[in-house]
Amino acid sequence: MGRTQKLMSAREAVSHWVGDRCESLAVGGMHMHNNPMALIREIIRQGKKIKRLITSPSADINADLLIGAGLVEEILTAYVGFEHLGLAPNFRRAVETKSMRLLECDEPFIVYGLQAGAGGLPFIPYPKGLELNDLHKINPEMYRFTTDPYTGDEVMTAAPIKPSVALVHCQEADPYGNALFKGSEFTDRQMVMAADTVIIQAEKIVPDLARKYGSTKVNVPGFLVSAVVEAPYGCHPTSSHGYYTFDEAHLKEYIKACKTPETFAAYLQHYVTGIPEEEYAGRIGTERLQALSKRGESE
Amino acid sequence: MSEKTYSTAELMACVMSRHLQDGEVAIMGAVSMIPMAACRMAQETHAPNLYYIAGGSGAVNPHLEPLVFSSCDDENLRSDAAMALPDVILLEGHGKRLDVFFGGGLQIDKYGNCNLVCIGDWDKPALRGPGTVGLPFLPRAGRVVIYTTSHNARTLVEKVDFNSGPGFLDGPEGWAAKGLPGNGPALVVTPLCAMDFDEKSKIMRLKSVHPGVTVEQVVENTGFKLIVPEHVPTTPEPTETELKALRQIDPTGVARNLI
Repeated sequence: MGRTQKLMSAREAVSHWVGDRCESLAVGGMHMHNNPMALIREIIRQGKKIKRLITSPSADINADLLIGAGLVEEILTAYVGFEHLGLAPNFRRAVETKSMRLLECDEPFIVYGLQAGAGGLPFIPYPKGLELNDLHKINPEMYRFTTDPYTGDEVMTAAPIKPSVALVHCQEADPYGNALFKGSEFTDRQMVMAADTVIIQAEKIVPDLARKYGSTKVNVPGFLVSAVVEAPYGCHPTSSHGYYTFDEAHLKEYIKACKTPETFAAYLQHYVTGIPEEEYAGRIGTERLQALSKRGESE
Repeated sequence: MSEKTYSTAELMACVMSRHLQDGEVAIMGAVSMIPMAACRMAQETHAPNLYYIAGGSGAVNPHLEPLVFSSCDDENLRSDAAMALPDVILLEGHGKRLDVFFGGGLQIDKYGNCNLVCIGDWDKPALRGPGTVGLPFLPRAGRVVIYTTSHNARTLVEKVDFNSGPGFLDGPEGWAAKGLPGNGPALVVTPLCAMDFDEKSKIMRLKSVHPGVTVEQVVENTGFKLIVPEHVPTTPEPTETELKALRQIDPTGVARNLI
C-alpha cells in the first residue's frame, strides 16, 4: 500500500478541512511576511465564517482582509497593523464600531498559549512584572491568576490556545506535508503543533525535501499536516522569506481601498471573489511578481 | 540652521547610539528604523561588542547595509545568528539577558509608561491603536529607551489612557514595591530633545535640547510638568565619525528621511 499524498488545490483544502463556521482559525505569518494569503483569499471566496480568529503576535493583511470581508466574530490578537505603513483600517473600524469582539492580549499570551496548547499543559505562568500592564483589567476572563506552589506568590497565567484549524505558509513542502521555513518561523511552528487541523501552503512542492536540505531543516513533520497546497506567490502582497519581498505599493493600494465600503468591495471583487486563486498571480502580473523576487531570492 | 548637515532622525539615532554600551544586548520591535540605525552605528563606532535582536525576525546582529523598514524582513537574517521567535520571547522573560529594550507608544506618560492600545476608553476608543505586542516585557528589561517621532502634548501625557508598556507605574513607591529585575525607563528620545528620569520622583526630566530647539518649546509641547534643570545643555551634533557610519549603514535614508 502506497503513502497517501496530501496535495490538493486551495479550493479543495479549504472546502474539505474548514467548517462553514470555523470554531477557531489561526493564521500564520508576522507583520507583512509569510502571510498565508492564498488560503485566506480562498476562505473569503467560500464565505467561511470564523467564530474566533487567532493571529501571530503581529498580524497584518491576513487578519485585516478577513475582518473586512465580514467573516470574523471575534479576534484574539496582540497587534494588527501595517508596521511602517500605518494602522490596519478594517481592524480599527471593526473595533471602534464594535462589529467584532476583541480579545486583546500581549505577545507572550499567544506564544505561551500555543506552547501550552501544543503540549497539553493546563496553563503557563507569566514571569513577574508582566501583570503590571492593564490587559488583565479589561480581560479578567482571559488573564487568570493562581498561586505559585513554590513561592506562594500570585502569578498571572496564559491559557492554552488550541486552534481548530491553522493556515500556515511554508516555503517548501513535500507531498506528505513535511515542510520547512527558509527564513523566520515566527510562531508558525507553534500554531502547527497546537492546531487540530493544519493546512500548509507552499511556494514549491519538493518531493525529496529532506534529502535536499537535510531532515533537521524540515521541522514541520507531515503527521501534523492535513493538507498541502502549492501556492507560488501565495503570500502576496506580503513577503515569503527567501523567495520574494512584500509589495509595498499593493499594500498601500489595499489600505487606500479600505477607506469606503465601495472601494473595498471593488478590491475584493478584483483580487479575491471575482477570480479563482489560480488566477491571482496573473492578476498581479508576472513582471511585477518577478521584480519582487529579485531581492528576496536566496538560493 | 539652514546648513544643517544631518536630519532630526539621524540626531535621534546618535543620541540612542551614545547611550548603548559595549558588550550590551539590545532588542527592539516593529517600526524601529531609528533604534536599528543606532545599534548598527554603535557597533561601527564605540560598541563593537554590542548585540542587538531585530524583533520578530529573531535575527541577532543583522548586518544591515542598507537598513530596512520592516522588523521582520528577511534581510535582517543576514546576521550573526537567528533565533526562533518563541525563544526570543522566552529570553525576554528571563530578566537578566537583555540590557536595553526599545519601546514607544501612541502615548507616553511622565513615569515612562507607554500605550500602544488605544486613546480614550478601551471600551469606547477615540482611536484604536495596533496593540501592545511585546511591550509588557519592559519591566523585565535591564533598562528601557523610549522614542517617539512626534513630540507633542497628545503623545507626552500626564497619564496614559491604557498602560500597555509599564514604566515607573504610578511613581517611586509603587515601582520599588514590585521588586522587579529591571531598572525601568532610562532615556526618552524625541525630535525635540533627550530626557531621562529624576532618580527620586521617577518623573521625566529634560536632559538636553536638540540644536535650534528651546526649552520653552519642549515645555509647551509636553502634556505634563516636565522636570527642567537649571542648566539644560544642547544635544551634541553628530560627529563626522558618527555621520560617516550612519550614512554607510543607511545610504537610502530609511531612517534619515523619517524626520
